[in-house]
Amino acid sequence: MSQSQETKLHVEADEQHLLLDHAYDNIQELNHPLPSWWNFIFLICCIFSGGYFVYYQLMGGPSLRDEFNQEYARIVAVQEEFRKQNSAFNQEHYAGILADDGVNKGQVVFENNCLPCHAEKGAGDIGPNLTDDHWLVAKSTPDTIYGVVFNGSEENGMPAWAELLTKDEIYQAVAYVSSLKNTFVKGKDPEGEKIED
Amino acid sequence: MSSPNANVPSANRRLETFTYDDQIVKWFVIATVIWGAIALLLGVTVAFQLADWRLNLGLPWTTFGRLRPLHTNAAIFAFCGNAIFAGIYYSHQRLLKARLFNDILSKVHFWGWQLVIVLAAITLPLGLSTGKEYAELEWPIDILITLIWVVFAVNFFGTIIRRRERHIYVAIWFYIATIITVAVLHIVNSMELPVTLTKSYSLYSGVQDALVQWWYGHNAVAFFLTTPFLGLMYYFVPKAANRPVYSYRLSIIHFWSLVFIYIWAGPHHLLYTTLPEWSQTLGMVFSVALWMPSWGGMINGLMTLRGVWNKVRTEPGLRFMATSLTFYGMSTFEGPLLSIKSVNSIAHFTDWIPGHVHAGTIGWNYMLIAGILFYLVPKLWNAELYSKRLANIQFWFATIGLVFYIVSMWIAGITQSLMWRAMDDAGRLLYPNFIETVIKIVPMYWVRAIGGTLVLTSFILMIINLYRTAKRGKPSEEAVFEAYALDDSSLEADSSTHRKLEGWPMIFSVLSLIAILVGSAIEIVPSLMSDKYITKVSAIKPYSPLELYGRDIYVREGCYLCHSQTVRPIPHEVLRYGKPSDASEFVYDHPFQWGSKRTGPDLARVGKKYPHMWHYKHFYDPREVTAGSIMPTYKWLFNQKIDYSTLPAKIAVMQKLGVPYSAEEIQTSVEKAKAQATEIAAELVQSGVPEKIVEMEVVALIAYMQRLGVDYTSMPAEEVASEE
Repeated sequence: MSQSQETKLHVEADEQHLLLDHAYDNIQELNHPLPSWWNFIFLICCIFSGGYFVYYQLMGGPSLRDEFNQEYARIVAVQEEFRKQNSAFNQEHYAGILADDGVNKGQVVFENNCLPCHAEKGAGDIGPNLTDDHWLVAKSTPDTIYGVVFNGSEENGMPAWAELLTKDEIYQAVAYVSSLKNTFVKGKDPEGEKIED
Repeated sequence: MSSPNANVPSANRRLETFTYDDQIVKWFVIATVIWGAIALLLGVTVAFQLADWRLNLGLPWTTFGRLRPLHTNAAIFAFCGNAIFAGIYYSHQRLLKARLFNDILSKVHFWGWQLVIVLAAITLPLGLSTGKEYAELEWPIDILITLIWVVFAVNFFGTIIRRRERHIYVAIWFYIATIITVAVLHIVNSMELPVTLTKSYSLYSGVQDALVQWWYGHNAVAFFLTTPFLGLMYYFVPKAANRPVYSYRLSIIHFWSLVFIYIWAGPHHLLYTTLPEWSQTLGMVFSVALWMPSWGGMINGLMTLRGVWNKVRTEPGLRFMATSLTFYGMSTFEGPLLSIKSVNSIAHFTDWIPGHVHAGTIGWNYMLIAGILFYLVPKLWNAELYSKRLANIQFWFATIGLVFYIVSMWIAGITQSLMWRAMDDAGRLLYPNFIETVIKIVPMYWVRAIGGTLVLTSFILMIINLYRTAKRGKPSEEAVFEAYALDDSSLEADSSTHRKLEGWPMIFSVLSLIAILVGSAIEIVPSLMSDKYITKVSAIKPYSPLELYGRDIYVREGCYLCHSQTVRPIPHEVLRYGKPSDASEFVYDHPFQWGSKRTGPDLARVGKKYPHMWHYKHFYDPREVTAGSIMPTYKWLFNQKIDYSTLPAKIAVMQKLGVPYSAEEIQTSVEKAKAQATEIAAELVQSGVPEKIVEMEVVALIAYMQRLGVDYTSMPAEEVASEE
């Protein structure tokens, strides 16, 4: 090992007196006092930690579950209000949607959300074929289709789209799906009961 | 502090001559750079796989879920592990003026550790995994690791016994804490019951398993990536800078506070889960308290460079060391910040966490290793460093690459988290489709992958530099050293208590052990008395044989690396996934599969959410049902047959672990599994799937998917009420 390369230990003038006299493989140690800001922050952190634990675990401070319950109840109330106002099919609103290019807008909603299960043009795949004259839960009319889209159908794996889509999007989707019936696109075989209209 | 007789030779002092075993250090150095390159290459590979799913190549052993454990294990245990051994073996001998205890043990240690790494490199891509992060290796390898660690410990403590220096230097304090704690962590977390040579189930389940795992996982960071590196820092920084260490007093205070406090912090990985809240709170508050003890190491390192900052500009080794200490300071500030519950509720499960981890592993571990290697290789191979310029280029590649990594992950993590929680005024999620939040951050995955590539490039430059350096080394005669044998002359009559303790390494070791056992015991022991810890709920039933088989596939494919299985009691999360998880749901989960990252959505409530056919298509190619998905394809599940032969043994082991399967259920398990497979397949066949699907693994995985969360969500309301 090239001992010659080892130069004299670099010690600043103001710290000579702090140099301890022990050495390990020529490593020496100074004995600077602990930085005061270090002491201070350490102390603050410990006080915060102790106080936090005592308040939340020993003095009955709110638990995470309490905080959640409170916040969630507020959101549920907002949602219920929305549902109450919108769960019933509104024929007038539907007419307005139809008049405002509802079928085409509905096709976009359909393609963004329904395609994975109902396939292109509603030919059916995981979900039923929407282009025949057979119906599982909805019964061919816009109001019954609306019910299934809005609330979903748990036994058939259809989600409640009210949780995901806006009110107008749901109406548009209903307009598009209504336009599909009896177009008989080749796809999944008919399921459910036959309804003629 | 005075030691009046330190340098006064007494009449009967015995002068001894000895040499150091530097050959073993050279071997570990070579292993470090080889495995380091491989670990980084794997990291870059998985980073690009996240940016573009096609890079999974559609093969089981090249898919993310199997390569990521290989990357983490290689980076931690192969790269950092070998570097630790190289640095410890080099410094330990010199600090104690004694050759390593036994040359044969050193060789067994070296080759044994390389064997562990090779076995990991073979078994992890094969999908042999325990499903616990950073502890994925199966039980025979766990045993081998334990044995090799014992060899290391004997060699290490044997050298201490034969020392010619009475007092142990601060570096050795950190080495001692490392060796003791890693042994405790590894053994406790690896408790598992074997089914076959390549399959075992964790002894713990659910909440217990989560607690033990993250006590381990967090402290693997503490005692494998922090304490040994602090020890190395205490040797190599003053050596390379030719400066005295800044503050002996700070060394004492920050060593003991770090070791004592670190071990408590594990539960900060489990905030908002079903871990009892007092335990979560302990995890958080100890993390906050840990900030200054961590910074003690940074201060002592950086202030040691006082007066020689000009050398930091010119000496590559010192420059890497100074930078590593800076990144250490940054990530040990970020850590306590992330452990604060409200911050954690935003950051957890997002890319912020891998960003934080890599600030530590690349910024602190890799940079410090680079600094050490630039010191060691010229010394060991007796040559001047080949090129300072190349080292500087390496430095900038590494630093810029790391900044790309950290910043892109901050952006990705915070963006995605805000999208997850965004709500409209009707109380609905603004981005209810998880995939929208993924597509948004994919560009950041590209930035991260490029950052990673820069880091890998820097590493290759280092290998070239070190190789060239070693090549021009001149053979030198083995240096012979002289020192007096340990005798009474080095006893200091009036020294402080801690100074005395430094002369009693075995007592020092026992005290370190006690320091880490206090926090461990207070947090873990209550959870082991699980009957009182978690109320069992009768509606929660064990998995059916086929579901259990499917769960093993879930573990094998590393699904837990991208999907969580725990719904936190946070409003947006409950809106997205369903009821918050309950501790009772996981009592039969050996191992738990809560995960730590949501690259994909949570799966705790996915059961019955989609028809079988949806899962069928999704596993075949996720993009068939989710446009824009970045999940790999799992096509091999469609032509690999279910192996029913091990099923009774698996269920028997589960029964031994306390899962209430009857003897009859073990006997009829194959029959029952086949019946369930037939049922699922029938539904798939109806949708036009070929009939042979009934024999394939995908059916078992679908069975498992469809079971997740079902028992709890379908529980009658009064039972939920009575339980609460």
